[in-house]
Amino acid sequence: MSEYRRYDEIAVGDVFPETPLSFKVSEKVVNGFLAATSNEDALYHGGEIRRAPSMIASVYLIDLLMARRSPPGGIHAKQAIRFHRAIAIGETLVMQGRVVEKYTRKERPYMVADFEARGSDGTLVTSGRITSIWGKDQ
Amino acid sequence: MSASLATRQFSAPGEASPVLVRHVTQGMINAYAEASGDFNPIHVDPEFAAAGPFGRTIAHGLMTLAFVSQMLNEWTAGAFDETGEIDVAFVGPVYTGDTVEVSGTVEDIVERDGRQCARIKLQCSAGVRQILAGHAIQPIE
Repeated sequence: MSEYRRYDEIAVGDVFPETPLSFKVSEKVVNGFLAATSNEDALYHGGEIRRAPSMIASVYLIDLLMARRSPPGGIHAKQAIRFHRAIAIGETLVMQGRVVEKYTRKERPYMVADFEARGSDGTLVTSGRITSIWGKDQ
Repeated sequence: MSASLATRQFSAPGEASPVLVRHVTQGMINAYAEASGDFNPIHVDPEFAAAGPFGRTIAHGLMTLAFVSQMLNEWTAGAFDETGEIDVAFVGPVYTGDTVEVSGTVEDIVERDGRQCARIKLQCSAGVRQILAGHAIQPIE
């Protein structure tokens, strides 16, 4: 099996990955994200239960995007995200995506996928839609 | 969490957010790649990126989105983290060396799922270049 999937191997309705991904909202991941984005907001520092920025989604979405096995060079074209509750450091989220649309525009192959991330108690944490230009087939 | 404080700040169309400014360096892009695990060569490999559509490395779109989220959380005292929504198109690249400015303006008050929400038009630019186009939705009650 090739490391990457060809664009024509993807179909509307495909679920990725087959087994939902698990993502631990660890202190290390949150600290790295806050440092990389120069975010020193007091919201995320201190308190008995330390809060994580909801846009840590931009980290776990990478894991989800990688699960599609798109070749390198793909471009993130659009992003919709809805936050349903705050998250805390130490939580574990479970997520999965589903292809909802494919189309070609200006000779560029697009893929649209919906996703959900849920807490270990099953509550919805984040939902949204990702629109990407597929990387060049290899 | 003072969501009520925040919501008073954008209860009417025309209310403007603070402006968040970030200077983007290759080091920052590399740090974001480390933090997110996204080492797509279009972001971190100048040689690969030189042969691509932009001719040089560009920042991760999700990093720019993180700046937008940061601005919205500062404006809403963290309420955006709990109930916010964002819908954007990445219309232009952020290059190494760019200074990105992010802000928002309440465009309208709309109803969503039975709640009154501010619809916020987002502005995100690097100099005269537009980076993002889109809006955010934030419940205000």
